[in-house]
Amino acid sequence: MTDTLLSVRDLKKHYPIRKGLFNRKVGAARAVDGISFDIEEGETLGLVGESGCGKSTAASSVIHLEEPTAGEVIFNGNGRQGATRDPDGTHPNDVTEFDDDEMMEFRRGAQMIFQDPSSSFDPRVSVGNAVGELLKVHGMSDRHRRRAIVEDLLERVGLSANDFDRYPHEFSGGQKQRIALARALVLNPDLIIADEPVSALDVSIQAEILSLINDLQEEFGLSLLFISHDMSVIRQVCDRVAVMYLGEIVEIGPVEEIFTDPQHPYTEALLSSIPTPDPRASVGGIELKGTVPSPTNPPSGCRFHTRCHKVIQPEGLDIDQDDWRGLLNFRDKVGIDEVDVEQVRENIAGSGTEPTDSEVRAEIRREFDISETVDDPELERTLSEALDLLIEGDSERAGSVLSDAITTPCAEREPEQTVHAPGHESACLRHEGQAAAEPNPADD
Amino acid sequence: MATEESERFDKVDWNDLSRSGRFDLSINSIGMLLTALPLTLLGVYSTAFTGPRTATFEFIGLEQNLESLDFFFIFTLLLAFWYLALPLYQNPRMTRYYWKEFKRNRPAVVSLGWLGIVFVGGLVGPLIMDPPQQQLLIGYQPPVFTSVVDTTPATCVGDVVNGRCFGTWQHPLGTTQGGKDVFTMIVYGMTISMQIAFITTTIVATIGISFGTLSAYAGGWIDEIMMRFVDIILSFPTFLMFLLILYIYGAGLGMFIVVFSLFAWGGTARYIRSKSLSISEEEFIKASRISGASTYQVIRGHVVPNAASSIITQLTLLIPGFLLAEAQLAFLGIGDSAVPSWGQLISAGRSDLSFAPWIVLAPGIVLFFTILAFNFLGDALLDALNPEAEAESE
Repeated sequence: MTDTLLSVRDLKKHYPIRKGLFNRKVGAARAVDGISFDIEEGETLGLVGESGCGKSTAASSVIHLEEPTAGEVIFNGNGRQGATRDPDGTHPNDVTEFDDDEMMEFRRGAQMIFQDPSSSFDPRVSVGNAVGELLKVHGMSDRHRRRAIVEDLLERVGLSANDFDRYPHEFSGGQKQRIALARALVLNPDLIIADEPVSALDVSIQAEILSLINDLQEEFGLSLLFISHDMSVIRQVCDRVAVMYLGEIVEIGPVEEIFTDPQHPYTEALLSSIPTPDPRASVGGIELKGTVPSPTNPPSGCRFHTRCHKVIQPEGLDIDQDDWRGLLNFRDKVGIDEVDVEQVRENIAGSGTEPTDSEVRAEIRREFDISETVDDPELERTLSEALDLLIEGDSERAGSVLSDAITTPCAEREPEQTVHAPGHESACLRHEGQAAAEPNPADD
Repeated sequence: MATEESERFDKVDWNDLSRSGRFDLSINSIGMLLTALPLTLLGVYSTAFTGPRTATFEFIGLEQNLESLDFFFIFTLLLAFWYLALPLYQNPRMTRYYWKEFKRNRPAVVSLGWLGIVFVGGLVGPLIMDPPQQQLLIGYQPPVFTSVVDTTPATCVGDVVNGRCFGTWQHPLGTTQGGKDVFTMIVYGMTISMQIAFITTTIVATIGISFGTLSAYAGGWIDEIMMRFVDIILSFPTFLMFLLILYIYGAGLGMFIVVFSLFAWGGTARYIRSKSLSISEEEFIKASRISGASTYQVIRGHVVPNAASSIITQLTLLIPGFLLAEAQLAFLGIGDSAVPSWGQLISAGRSDLSFAPWIVLAPGIVLFFTILAFNFLGDALLDALNPEAEAESE
């Protein structure tokens, strides 16, 4: 078994939100809220999720571009393998506790590639000097030696040594990303964090860059943390995948297992969004409605329950899952008074006739994908009552009637990690009762 | 030699390399130090060991004297050489690119040529031309190719035909009331104009850039205080301040330059601050920080060069303001009457405007073209140095 290069434990990054005259802290955006993962030597871990779920913040906290709020980042590269946890519980390889010299060393062990090739180079520095800058910062004062190393490296990433003196504006996006790769490589790191390295490139260039990354990884035994929102890219380069939703990792496992046997509903939804080359196949089996909730005020319980298509029904209830999802959405919308009966009425009136109340009811049901009668008589009564109240204009009481009757366990309890196979974990309440993940402190 | 067996990045033993290299001086800084040091010594010698009436170079038999303003001027010239001209030579690719962009603006190229003439004339002129002499007998000579009524000049140097005195090549732009050669005075005025241009730019750029970046990077209440100070600077009535100083101490050209540039950097600092803030959000700054560069290295290496190149335009447009201000003060009679500036010449000729207009017109036209040239240059530099700005507007 290979050694663990990087262990991230319960990493958090919260951005304070300040308001008012005295900059009082009124809350925090919990961009990354307790994520843990390991990267083995020579392994590629993919980090995937929607935009705004905290992937990039996770990357910049791991590489210590930003100080994490809490948690440990244990880096065992640079010949620091085999360190064990100190008796007081701290780890000698914890990046968040490094002093200046250790931090310089860490910089040689971990580097990063950025998303936007056009802004990741100083327009006034030739690319050779941009790559050589790292050597200079780390004490190589011999200009000719720097130049020799950088020229060699430029050739390795598929450019020519003559490109040393050229400026960023003279290169295309794909070429710049190759130079970015050279810059990340020049200190011979053990770990490279790639933050959406190919999402700004067109598809044919993407493939070139990805295969270059693969080749270099094999040749130099690099570990990669590969961040992307594109599942097909992830499948191409990664050994394992961590799926992030709203600052948390909801599922992590080997790439083949995740793709063939996804456990978390969010992963299922992401996978169903991959377009297939078959023109007859229906695109996107699962549609996630709405946007990612704000990280300042994440939903209680399981954070995904506001959008989950497999949201759990309470004990003793067994209705159609689509109806259940629709009911929950309806409850939430009424709760924040966003169901506008007048608007619905106007929409129907647009087709000619003056709408009756029953038509309005049916239209609202259709809007929320609720069938004409819900299977459960109790629930059907509640829904009808709420619809009546809504049409009468009493949305407040309608809201309270609905929120009393419609509750899901997902909103009440936070899911624990469950193990499905070795190395394959997910956090979903539907899997409770299966083997819970053992706490895994990183002291190996 | 280490480079013989083709060096590879993964074969570097970093423990071998000491960190001393982090404070290596570039060739530019070494050159600057080597040239500025003798200048400083000479300056100290000139002010402390020779009397006010003794010429600086008397010890080697020259009669050339240097004032403190001259020392500062030479210092700014050294700065411009080592940190502006030499980098352009060191990075030929970038220079060619800038030149290609710059060249597209034809008026700017002509302006650059004109400013080159003024610059070289100002530097070399006083060395090879004798200072204008008072010769009352040949006062009011007309410029070459023109003529005035015979009675205007006391004696006519050129031919007198039909009662009209014709100008000669001896005084191509004519002479003043006192018989001083206008052309010589204009050349001497070039020196003054170049001194104003270089010294004010240096002062404004130095204070503005350091104040702006410091403010941007300090953040919080320090930033707040510094920016409110800039507001004070910007709203300060510089002209009244100058009048006050004038009445208390008397105001030479040096005082004019110092007072006006010390109150002119507010806008520059504010611009640099906002520019630094936006630059520090760029990914290449993140990349540089991840490389392990210290905050100072990041600011010095990436933030300042990128912010500074965008204020070159602003600085170029600041110079005409100073030149005009100097001329206006001279015209009002509260300038430094000891220096042969264009403004002084215009002021000297204003009472003779009706019968000897060349005394006002010649320096006036030169001043006008110089200011116009600076304005054209500023526009073209904006396009050449900020290709992004142009790309956005297209």
